[in-house]
Amino acid sequence: MSEHMDVKIDWDRCMGSGNCVFWAPGTFDLSEDGHAVVTDVGATDEDRLRIAAEGCPVGAISLWRDGREVALNEKEE
Amino acid sequence: MTATDSTRVAAEPFDPFELKDVVSGNIRDPYPRMRELRLQSPVHVGPVDLGDEEPIPLDPSAIPPVTVFGFDEVVQVLRDNETYSSSVYEGVMGTVMGRTILQMDEPEHRMSRALVSQSFRSKVLERWEEQLVAVVVNELIDSFIARGHADLVREVTFNYPAQVIAHILGLPRADYPRFQRWAIELTSLAANWDRGMAASAALRVYFCAVMEERRSVPGDDLISDLVRVEVEGERLEDEEICSFLRLLLPAGVETTYRATGNLLLGLLGDRPQFDALYHDRSLYAQAFEESLRWEPPVTVILRRATRDTELAGVPISAGADVALLLGAANRDERKYVDPDRYDMFREVRQHVGFGFGVHVCLGMHLARMESRVAINTLFDRLGPFTLDPEAEVPHIEGMAFRSPLSLPVVFQAP
Repeated sequence: MSEHMDVKIDWDRCMGSGNCVFWAPGTFDLSEDGHAVVTDVGATDEDRLRIAAEGCPVGAISLWRDGREVALNEKEE
Repeated sequence: MTATDSTRVAAEPFDPFELKDVVSGNIRDPYPRMRELRLQSPVHVGPVDLGDEEPIPLDPSAIPPVTVFGFDEVVQVLRDNETYSSSVYEGVMGTVMGRTILQMDEPEHRMSRALVSQSFRSKVLERWEEQLVAVVVNELIDSFIARGHADLVREVTFNYPAQVIAHILGLPRADYPRFQRWAIELTSLAANWDRGMAASAALRVYFCAVMEERRSVPGDDLISDLVRVEVEGERLEDEEICSFLRLLLPAGVETTYRATGNLLLGLLGDRPQFDALYHDRSLYAQAFEESLRWEPPVTVILRRATRDTELAGVPISAGADVALLLGAANRDERKYVDPDRYDMFREVRQHVGFGFGVHVCLGMHLARMESRVAINTLFDRLGPFTLDPEAEVPHIEGMAFRSPLSLPVVFQAP
């Protein structure tokens, strides 16, 4: 298992809602042109990263570990 | 409406009780019925009986409407804005507000939204936090703090968002009462169409004058921002700005007042959670988001199918109106454990209380900030307030819009 997850943002989808910045302000920021950018992946714990990714209204954020995409949209058991 | 009504409405501050039935319906708990229907199928075609009104007899030649009760299905529709168009809002909303981002599809929507969204970024909103929202809430609290008891709906939550929006628009203080009146007349259009349309026309005249003024003397306010904003060479027409400003009234006033009330009720109804937030304000984000899951202030969003399609295996015809029940989706038992409970510590945080997809609430950061400042200021000024044991236990009601009509509390201000 790697140290932390990787985060990818699909800029074709991203419409700059800023929801990721709300949940993980240390990791995401909005650029001047209104797209989300990753500033520091390690600044946010994995639970919060997951919340930010799941909460993205346009599904532009994906989480990756060891080259594999992490499944989102968890349900409570 | 009679002349007497008009005089009374103009002379007195608005009372939410006056409008409760006409604006929102008076259903206390629609969720058991929605659950029942969702368990039958997350997607229903044809009229559904939610217990709020007489079912409308179906015109056999009309395309049957679709109602969506499931979380995954609502998310699927809101993310597929090609199959499910927002043009459904052209009718009533388009007539009242004018053409706004609410009714636009891509790519027009994206460009128009980009022009206004800059003003609603959380960093841009920071400037309003201390110098505006906190000031407004403190003033409201000043008027009752000596009394030791208050109705937080009538005396705080109902009043503060309209004042905040008016100030963000840079409107003079003296205009606040008529501004709030137009806001409510516009929102309660279903109850009185002529009055709502008159408010829409009055707002157009009013905003045109303000835009004119801000062009010559720009200020630190949203209207000044909107008349000069430019993205990729595109600017906003006066008519577009005017329509957008009209949309801000229901979007920014009605929703925030209701959402703050729902959060307060969730907290007041569960003392350990109230205390947890009172002592650790870093829990605010999850406390507020959970309240939006549990009781979203706006419970339904509409779309129209652009082609024949299928949702959860249910066929949908092109042209069908699709009602997405956000409140029902937020209580989908397939996603949440004990979904009817307000629980800020639950594992899943995802919800559709702000909508989802490209049209997700533009004002969500403003709403989050306003509500946070309101709650923090109430905590700091009133101490750990409790429900008034002498008063009737408050409850949330409504159908399309939901919130408590009163929140009677007692406190010993520190």
